[in-house]
This record gives sequence, structure tokens and C-alpha cells, in this order.
Amino acid sequence: MGGPDPDQPPIEDYGLLGDTRLAALVSSAGAIDWMCVPYFDGQPVFGRLVGGPEAGTFRLGPANRSTVVSRRYRQESATLETTWETATGQLTLTEGMVAEVTGRLMPPTLLVRRLTATGGPIEAVVEFDPRLGEQHRRPDSRRHKEILVCGWPGLAIALHTAPHIAITPRQPTTVRIEPGEPFTVALAVAAREPLVHVPPAAAWDALEADERRWRAWCMDVHQSLPRRDVVLRSLLTLQLLTYSPSGAPVAAPTTSLPEVLGGTRNWDYRYAWPRDASIGVAAFLGVGKQDEARRFMAWLLTATRLDRPRMPVLLTLFGRHPRPERVLDQWPGYARSVPVRDGNGAAEQHQLDGYGWVIDAAWLLTKSGHPLYGETWRAMAGFADTVAARWREPDAGIWEVRGDRAHYVHSKLMGWLALDRALRIADNHRISRRRKARWAAERDALAVDIIERGYDPARQTFTRSYGSADLDAALLVLPLLGVEPVDSPRVRGTIDAIRRELTADGPLLYRYPPGQDGLPGTEGAFLPCSFWLVQAMAATGAVDEATELFDALIDLGSPLGLYGEEITPVDGRCLGNFPQALTHATLVQAALALRDVDGSSRRL
Amino acid sequence: MDWAGWAVFGLIATTALTAAMIAAQLLGLTRLDLPLLLGTILTENPDRARVAGFFIHLAVGQGFALGYALFFVLLGRATWWLGGLLGLLHSAVALTVLVPLLAGVHPRMASYRAGPASRAVLEPPGLLGLNYGPRTPLVTIVMHLIYGVALGVLLRIG
Repeated sequence: MGGPDPDQPPIEDYGLLGDTRLAALVSSAGAIDWMCVPYFDGQPVFGRLVGGPEAGTFRLGPANRSTVVSRRYRQESATLETTWETATGQLTLTEGMVAEVTGRLMPPTLLVRRLTATGGPIEAVVEFDPRLGEQHRRPDSRRHKEILVCGWPGLAIALHTAPHIAITPRQPTTVRIEPGEPFTVALAVAAREPLVHVPPAAAWDALEADERRWRAWCMDVHQSLPRRDVVLRSLLTLQLLTYSPSGAPVAAPTTSLPEVLGGTRNWDYRYAWPRDASIGVAAFLGVGKQDEARRFMAWLLTATRLDRPRMPVLLTLFGRHPRPERVLDQWPGYARSVPVRDGNGAAEQHQLDGYGWVIDAAWLLTKSGHPLYGETWRAMAGFADTVAARWREPDAGIWEVRGDRAHYVHSKLMGWLALDRALRIADNHRISRRRKARWAAERDALAVDIIERGYDPARQTFTRSYGSADLDAALLVLPLLGVEPVDSPRVRGTIDAIRRELTADGPLLYRYPPGQDGLPGTEGAFLPCSFWLVQAMAATGAVDEATELFDALIDLGSPLGLYGEEITPVDGRCLGNFPQALTHATLVQAALALRDVDGSSRRL
Repeated sequence: MDWAGWAVFGLIATTALTAAMIAAQLLGLTRLDLPLLLGTILTENPDRARVAGFFIHLAVGQGFALGYALFFVLLGRATWWLGGLLGLLHSAVALTVLVPLLAGVHPRMASYRAGPASRAVLEPPGLLGLNYGPRTPLVTIVMHLIYGVALGVLLRIG
């Protein structure tokens, strides 16, 4: 197997293409270096991103020296456009995946890429090297008329170009692009079903129709949002990371992009976390997308059914337990960051905070005029019972620390939230008095416990865990919960202490003191925490400061408006799996917090 | 043909099958919920859907019981093991054909091709219903064995 790839672009260089069933990452060189088929957590067919040069890529771009002069998503769509300046003119690559194929004889996966030239003819190159799975298996290739078909048992991909050129896998092919004569490539995937051949012109039309649908979808999003263009990109990213057949929100489309370059903090995020779904409910409700919010709740309901009243930490796209975590031994990893992992071992953890996020999402739904169905309410009540029974136990916490469990204060706060929101929902839904009384008693006991054991009066801050002096940036959700008044010294003291002690420069925060997780290396700043800080500051009345912070965070996004989980404070490089749904959801929530206080608070 | 037997025992066998399925759900063995799947054709409220789906399921079960009865008449005998064999065949058809095809006709069930415009909230069952849990095929086979054996024991020829 190959070694590390010397020409690897930075993580933030990648753009996201997707059809809500799978996703691809494409670099500014026009190389698709990551794409799993036939769904997000399938096998990579282009895996160079973490699998090295032998894991396959699909590049369309200039053959000779060139400079990227423009790179953007077409307005309010998922179609990506990259333009290079070359010696003979400008070459533009326009690409996307067709999301809506229902009811039509179309392949479930259809990637469309088009090269156009302006100014003069330009030499371009097509490098098509599909490899499947862990072993980078080469396909059996054959030609069917003008179509190249690459097959493995149970899987086939077809490449069709217009005008036709003969492409051979692994051999770069040069093509001359004349102005006014676009070169279009359609890639279709078939898994356990026959290939559907789509002429490139028809594929292009389908992509343009999809673009119109995305624009129409964006038109419904509230106009009053601050930085609406940026929020729309986050919402579109969240949509692209939602697996439409089941409604599962995928945390990220990648595995093992490192949290420390060259380090071992490399995890598989191609799964769905109930926590992310709940944050998604709040984000979509806030921008006026009720159907999307209800869809996440429907997924939560069906996916958790086998485990209730326990809440699983993470699930596959269809609500199964993920395969056991294992290491892909021969994979070189991104920037020599090994191991590359498949599966996620955090699935077996007990995380108390998850219950709080989920029941809070149910509460938000009821508050926005969607009473819970009986089954949904029974599920939520079961979760509340679990919290009431288990909050005294230590857990792994929101950061999924893989060591000894602890009494994390954030977990306890979210346990309090679970019981409090269940009680609020119970005001309008049927439940026995005895059960309500139990929840109320446990909620109140939990609040006392948190203040007695999780608050440091000397430093006027809540701490990371009982008995610890460390802080935890997840505690920034404190003013949003209602466990303490927003103007209480404990809330303000905690926000101030986190800003002081966990700062990673400028608007950035570490999630906990660097290195305090038992793993080697120091990770980057954790972006969702900074967006929580925006919310916390907005909630406590520091609106102007919150707006400044939000604007500074927007400037830290990738050139395409995408965010990973973490960022290096020194040079602003993205770290961790990319793009990350949690970061985008918290960005939306931060914008909503600013919108909701804007005007009213400032005028006070 | 024992019409009275078919009318009564078809109902009993389907009720037994439904009870076994609910028990399997309560035990956390599968997320397959046929009354819900059938009832959500009519309504999106899960509680009402289950009631409607239960009656639809009874009617469907009665229809299948007619097929079992005709098969016994053709063979000239009805035994528990013959019913069991038919139940096995029935479960194989249900898992490989009937349940996966539901996604094509059910207005609230997504397919593997669903896109962002889909408002279907029920996940597709997938091959052998595996999307509803890895033990779904086993549960389905056992349920249909109970159904087939019950009919084989209870139905009479002539």
C-alpha cells in the first residue's frame, strides 16, 4: 500500500458535493478525493483523502500550470464552481450531484461535472482512478458503446462524457476544451441494481433542475437572519448531510480526518448522533423549516426504538448499532495521522447529556405548535425516567472521553434540562401525577447537587466535573437552560472564566484545558464552543460583543463557508472530520440567538 | 372447504401472529411494526395508525388464511408441520418481496432513492427488513411459523 500523499491539500480546501444519500469532497485542484458508495457510511470508491494515492481519485482540471481565481457555490445551491486562470484562458469546473431522482428512471447516485473555457482553448485533464474499499480494489473495466463501466461484485460505476473521449482508469487523459463547447461528464453508481445510463446532457439538465429546487428551498428561510448568506450555506450543508431515506443527520461525511495533524485523535463520524439531530431540530425550527425539524424528531423516534428507554450515543443511518471500531492498518491517514478508523467505539458509552438535548428538542416542537403524538411523548417520558434513575452515575460526557467516567457538570446540567423540559411538556400531555412528582423531585435534587459539587465559589465558576478545577466550554450552554437566571453571578462568572481560561486566541476556545483527555498531542480550538459563546453572550445581554464574535467566527470558515470541528489557533487550518454538522448547526443557532435579541436587547 | 373454520381460525392465527410481533417489539428484538406500517397508509398519527393497521392486518391475515386453507384442501390434509412449512414459505416471501416492496406504494415510506423533498418519514425496511434491526428476519420467520402451525392444527379439510 502507498505512503503518505505529499500533495495533500489542507482540509479546508475541500468542497462538499452531495445528494443527501452520499457525499464527495473535492479539492480546489478538481480532485474528488473522498466518496463512499452507495451511502455515507459505505465503502470509499475515491479514498485518497485518508487512504493515500492508491485509494483512488477522480480529477478534472487544467492540465498545465494554473491558479484558482474563483471558487464558490452557485447562489443558494449545492453546485460548486471552480475557475482557474491558465496561460490560454480561464477554465471553469461546475459540478454537483443530483438529489431528486424519485419517480424517474435515474441512477440513485449521479455526479455531474462540466468544464467550460473562456478566452481561448485550454488543455484539461481527466484522471479517473476508482478503487473500492479497504483494499483499494481495482475494478473490472469494460466499454459499453461510449460508456466506461467499472465493476466490482455488486457494484458498478459508469462514466459517460460528451463529447466522447476514451478514458482509461488510472491513465490521465488530456482533453482540449474550446470556448463555447463544454465538456460534460456524468458518473452514475449502481449498488445491487442495474446501471442506469444517463447522457451527460440530460444529467446536466437534472443538475440544473436540482439547483432550482435548492434555491426554492432557500427562499422559505426567514429573511431576518443575520449573515443570511452564511446561515443558508450552513443550512444547505446540514441538508446535504442528512440521509434522506431515513432522515438521519450524519455528523460528517468522513472518517479519521485528524484533530491533531499527525496525531491519533482520528474518529469515524459517518454516523448519526441523537444530540446532533436535536440541535438540528432547534436550528431548522428557528429558521422556519418545520418539516425538516419534524423529520429529525421522527428519525429520533424510530432509530432509538430498540434501545429505549436508554438513549444510544450514536447510530447508523438506519438506526442500527455501528460496526465495532477497528483500525485500517495499511491506510496512511491524512497528513500521516494514523490510525484510520472504521466504526466508532463511543457507541457503547453512557452520555447523560444526550437525553437533555433530545427532550429539549421535543419541548421546542411542542412550543412551536406541534403537540407530540402519544408514542413520541411515551418515548420522551421514558427518557426522562432514565435520567431520573441514572443521573447520580458518572458518564463519558459530551466529549466522549475514552477513559474513566466522571461526574461531568455539563452532563448533570443537561440531565436537569431533560427533567425540566419533560415537566413542561407534561403540562399539556397526559402523564401520571406520581411520575411528574418524581421528575420534579429529581430535577430539584439535581440542581442542588450541581451547585454543591460542581460550583467553585472561590473562582465563581462551574467546573468541568465534580472535584475538578478544570473548566469545560460546553458549560456555555448554561444561560440557555433556565437552571440559573441569566444574570446570576454563577452564570456570568462561568462565562467569564471560560473566556479567560480556555481562550485559544481571538474568538476561539478550547473545549477543555488542552491535553486533559488522556490522549497524546494538543488538539485545536473547538468551533461549536465559540458559537455557544455567541449564544451565551447574546442571552446575557452582551449583544454587540456577541455580534462581533459571530462576525469573527464567520471569517474563519473555509473559502466556501464550510466548517470542520476544530481549527488551529495559529494559522486557522481546519482539523477533524469535515464538514461538521454540529459546527454548522451551532452556527445557525448563534445567528438565531442574535436575531432574537437584536433590537429588543439593544434598545433596553 | 371449512369456511367457518377459516373465518374463526384465520382470525385467531393472525391475532397470535400480531401478539408475537408486539412481544418481539417489547423485548427489543425488532423495530418492525406491521400495524404501524399498514396504518400509516391512512394516517400519520402513530397511535391511530396502529389501530387502523391492526384491522388491516387482520383482513390481510384472513386473506392469507384463505390461501393456506385452499392449499390444505388441494393436498387433502392439514397438519402442524405442513402449516409450518407454508409459514416458512410465507415468511420468505414477506421478507424478500412484500415488505421491501412496501416502499414503492406506501405514501409515508421513503425509498433508498428519497431526496431532500421527500416528506416520507418512515424509513424503508430494506432487504429482509434488516433496517428494522438485525433480528428482524428471525422474528418474522418465527411469527409466520406460529401463524402457519396454528392454521395447520386448527383448520379442517372438507
